[in-house]
Amino acid sequence: MNSRTITVGYGNVKPVTIGKGHPLVYIGGPCAIESRDHAFYMADQISKICSRLNIPWIYKSCYDKDCRSAPDSFHGLGLDHGLQILSAIREEFGVPVVSDFSDPAWASATGEVCDMIQVPAYLCRQTSVLKAAATTNRPIHLKKGQFMSPWNMKNSVRKIEAAGNYQILLADRGTFFGYNMLVNDFTSLPIMARTGYPVCFDATHSIQLPTSMGNISGGQREFIPHLVRAAAACGIHALFMETHNDPPNAMSDANTVLDMKYLEYILAHAKAMHEARLHLLAEHGEDQVHVEAQ
Amino acid sequence: MIVSDVMLPLDKFPVLNQYTIFKVCLDEMGFWRLGVSCIVDESGHLLGLFTDGDLRRKLLKIQKPIASLFVDDVLDHSIRDPHKVKSSDSLASAVELMEIHQVWDLPVVDDTNKLVGLLHLHPAVKALLHPHSN
Repeated sequence: MNSRTITVGYGNVKPVTIGKGHPLVYIGGPCAIESRDHAFYMADQISKICSRLNIPWIYKSCYDKDCRSAPDSFHGLGLDHGLQILSAIREEFGVPVVSDFSDPAWASATGEVCDMIQVPAYLCRQTSVLKAAATTNRPIHLKKGQFMSPWNMKNSVRKIEAAGNYQILLADRGTFFGYNMLVNDFTSLPIMARTGYPVCFDATHSIQLPTSMGNISGGQREFIPHLVRAAAACGIHALFMETHNDPPNAMSDANTVLDMKYLEYILAHAKAMHEARLHLLAEHGEDQVHVEAQ
Repeated sequence: MIVSDVMLPLDKFPVLNQYTIFKVCLDEMGFWRLGVSCIVDESGHLLGLFTDGDLRRKLLKIQKPIASLFVDDVLDHSIRDPHKVKSSDSLASAVELMEIHQVWDLPVVDDTNKLVGLLHLHPAVKALLHPHSN
């Protein structure tokens, strides 16, 4: 298995390379684009944090939240307005941006603006969605569905490859454990890495309790630092965390999004764990425990 | 009598590319009613062999879920650099090789290791016993 890297960023933004031999990358921002001012404020704050920690990063925020639990939940600013804001953030901060898309018809426009295009976990095996993402020719952030085994993500990878795109980042965001509950099986990270593509851990969705509060999702964000350290020790190339300066009033994922006041220390932990793992591997060699008992 | 006289042509036994998943390999072996699959690269060069015996050993050793095994690339579980013969080899020597290594099938390759056929024990024995029948 050859390890692939992907490079995110076109035009004037600073490209970010994700994969073996490269620094841990942070992907984050507010779950939804709430307003131009708020998006800029968040980008500015995150940019300063990542600059202090010397962590390459990609701004993530979505223009349309199509998987909300209730019909009256905030749905987003919409394709055109949202992409205008993301485009402006690219220009202002020189940072690559990523947004998900839920309708194949939105893929082309999303790919024209965004440096990376994200496939939502619930849609991770939809052929039309994967094909639309692939044909943007942008790197694809492919989230493992909560209902998917990590080994079966290879089928989704093959669908993307069949459409000619070989720039994929595979993410774990937790796995359904009965109803309204997720668990993290960290073996998913090395299993998905066997595809040869880099892997990402989505911490803030992993602590989600899906639709546990009637018509919205709950979450146990007190576990975020524990899961982040565990994932970094296990081996990841990127860390995904949605963050907000005022979680109780966040317009999407209020119960799971990380309060930005904690972002710096969690990223510092993640970076330290990532580097400690690389140091151990350099000193003692790569993991070589055989797959099968002899 | 030489190997090419009785070998199965490429369209009569499982010939799978290296990215074929394990489940499809088993389907193919069932379809052709043969206990062997030949794994080749994009240009048809032999990379490995997977047999019923490999499957039995795999099932006893493997600890991961069968669903996970089914989606693995079959090449990951195949014998690399298997015993093989050339189409111009004598049939008797090929059958002797089968006996030495206790195998029922031998992939047939050309000078560049490109797969050209499969020698299966039954037609080989039949040809040796009845050299003048078809």
